[in-house]
Amino acid sequence: MKRNKTMIAAFALPASILFVAIFVYPVIRTVFMSFFSIQEITDSFSSWVFNGIDNYKSLMGNALYRTSWINLLKIFFLGGVITLGVSLLMAAILKSGVKLKGFWQAVIYMPNIISAVAMATMWIQYVFNSTYGFLHNFFKAIGLESLANIQWLSPDMKFTALLVSYCFGTIGHYMLIWLSGMERISPDIYEASSIDGASKVQQFFYVTMPLLRGIFKTNLTMWAISCSGFFIWSKLFSPITADTSTIVPMIYMYEKLFGAANTDSVTRDAGSAAAIGVMLCIFVVVMFFVVNKTIKDDDIEM
Amino acid sequence: MAKKKSSQGLNMRGQLKLAPGYLVLATWVSFTFVVLFWVVGASLSTTGDIFRGTIFDFSTGLHFENYSRAWIGSNVSVYFANSLVYAVISCTLLIVLCAPFAYVLVRHRFPGSTLLKTGLAAASGVPIIMVIIPLYMIIARAGLLKDEMTNRIVLITLFVGTKVPYTTIFLQPYFDSVSRAYEEAASIDGCHPIRAFWQIVFPMAQGGLITVTIFNFINIWNEYFLSLLFVNSEKLRPVALGLFSMINGMQFSGDWSGLFASVMIVFAPTFLIYIFLSKYIIGGLTGGVKG
Repeated sequence: MKRNKTMIAAFALPASILFVAIFVYPVIRTVFMSFFSIQEITDSFSSWVFNGIDNYKSLMGNALYRTSWINLLKIFFLGGVITLGVSLLMAAILKSGVKLKGFWQAVIYMPNIISAVAMATMWIQYVFNSTYGFLHNFFKAIGLESLANIQWLSPDMKFTALLVSYCFGTIGHYMLIWLSGMERISPDIYEASSIDGASKVQQFFYVTMPLLRGIFKTNLTMWAISCSGFFIWSKLFSPITADTSTIVPMIYMYEKLFGAANTDSVTRDAGSAAAIGVMLCIFVVVMFFVVNKTIKDDDIEM
Repeated sequence: MAKKKSSQGLNMRGQLKLAPGYLVLATWVSFTFVVLFWVVGASLSTTGDIFRGTIFDFSTGLHFENYSRAWIGSNVSVYFANSLVYAVISCTLLIVLCAPFAYVLVRHRFPGSTLLKTGLAAASGVPIIMVIIPLYMIIARAGLLKDEMTNRIVLITLFVGTKVPYTTIFLQPYFDSVSRAYEEAASIDGCHPIRAFWQIVFPMAQGGLITVTIFNFINIWNEYFLSLLFVNSEKLRPVALGLFSMINGMQFSGDWSGLFASVMIVFAPTFLIYIFLSKYIIGGLTGGVKG
């Protein structure tokens, strides 16, 4: 037994220490910091000024910050409907008995392994380009001049462009998770329902969907987590100065921390940056509880 | 014979019914291929041809020098080497740290083990911004970003540290499925449990170890946010950050064909991994999630 104790200590300690140092301690400290006014991120503790919930109040009073949350919620709800909906559709198609299933799913998942910077560059510099871009040439070729002339990267369209290109890349991931759930549903249920005369479409709505509630919960939670960390795509769509149409809380936090090109709109303040982190964390926690309270899956045997 | 024929006929009709599905898949996949094909074309073309929309004419031949210009002139070789070093070292450390960690967490109960398990699960939902502010504060105040070597160590430590929860959670079911009989037999033969783990249990979780390493490698290769904050000099930039700075410089240099060549260089390693190892990637995703 003593040998086991040595092993447990030797195996658990290094990773636990790293985990505490890089997760536990910083999380607690961030919550603590969010109640202080801290000018420079490197300021020592003695120069911090306690100001209660003022950081939260002044953030909520800032129009640009509120815009960043509206954008995030738009990404969460609109993007969520698009991503989870389309990925479910794709999974259903793959499950319906098409040939070359492995090939289709591999290609659809592929964007997930590519660097987001490279992916976004392909979209911004090629697909959305207004002179030689894919959408421009495609709509021109089929004679839809009005669609061909859409300026995808103009302030009006930028958010749509951002949302479409971001969702396109993530759909493959959610599709695979849906598919893994579908594959766990017993073929007997489908057989029984088709003997009872259910069509493929009816089977999808009355058999597959109800049995996928657990997967739906997983996907929705993962979607909330990935939305809370939304950063790179927004940065790439407006690389120098944050645009009101694409700004998200993480971008705003980055500017709070290190200053921005448009310095007049955002003043540097590490305490407020910490408060933004806490608010994003609360967003994830709230979504987690909402998802778990509203979707019940415990009564279903798979 | 006759039976086989009729089932084939049914199959044909069945496939015909799936036509709308095929149409959706084909459209989606064609779009992906058109974009990739165009970027490959643009990377071998000239900036002039890109803007004239005549990249596939190759009127002046294939411009492989775009790649050498990007590789050397735009420092992509430096970024590439950095990312490779960061990814390889981090992935190795993650396995060395997390494999034994995951193993003791599934096999033994010890003071704090339940708390650690809960903590790891909770950490996978914590936005990265919740941890970086205090870490930046401590690291910058200690002056660790001023020296190249310490800056590299900081980066690798952060890549490893932030991936500990994911890697450990991922590996747990793989170690759980290894039968305890092996360790018991080893212990009867007088083998120390530490040795029994590395020599007997560790190799048996091979599938999980390979899969999680592939995911970690791809994630660290593509990593952007931590590098943006913690990389203090151009010489230490990984590919994603290097590519981003190139894009920002593009309005001054105007070298679009070079940009697309750089995109291809950044894209190539993870793409090659995917071509050869997609079985692990797709298997790891579809097998690892509980409904």
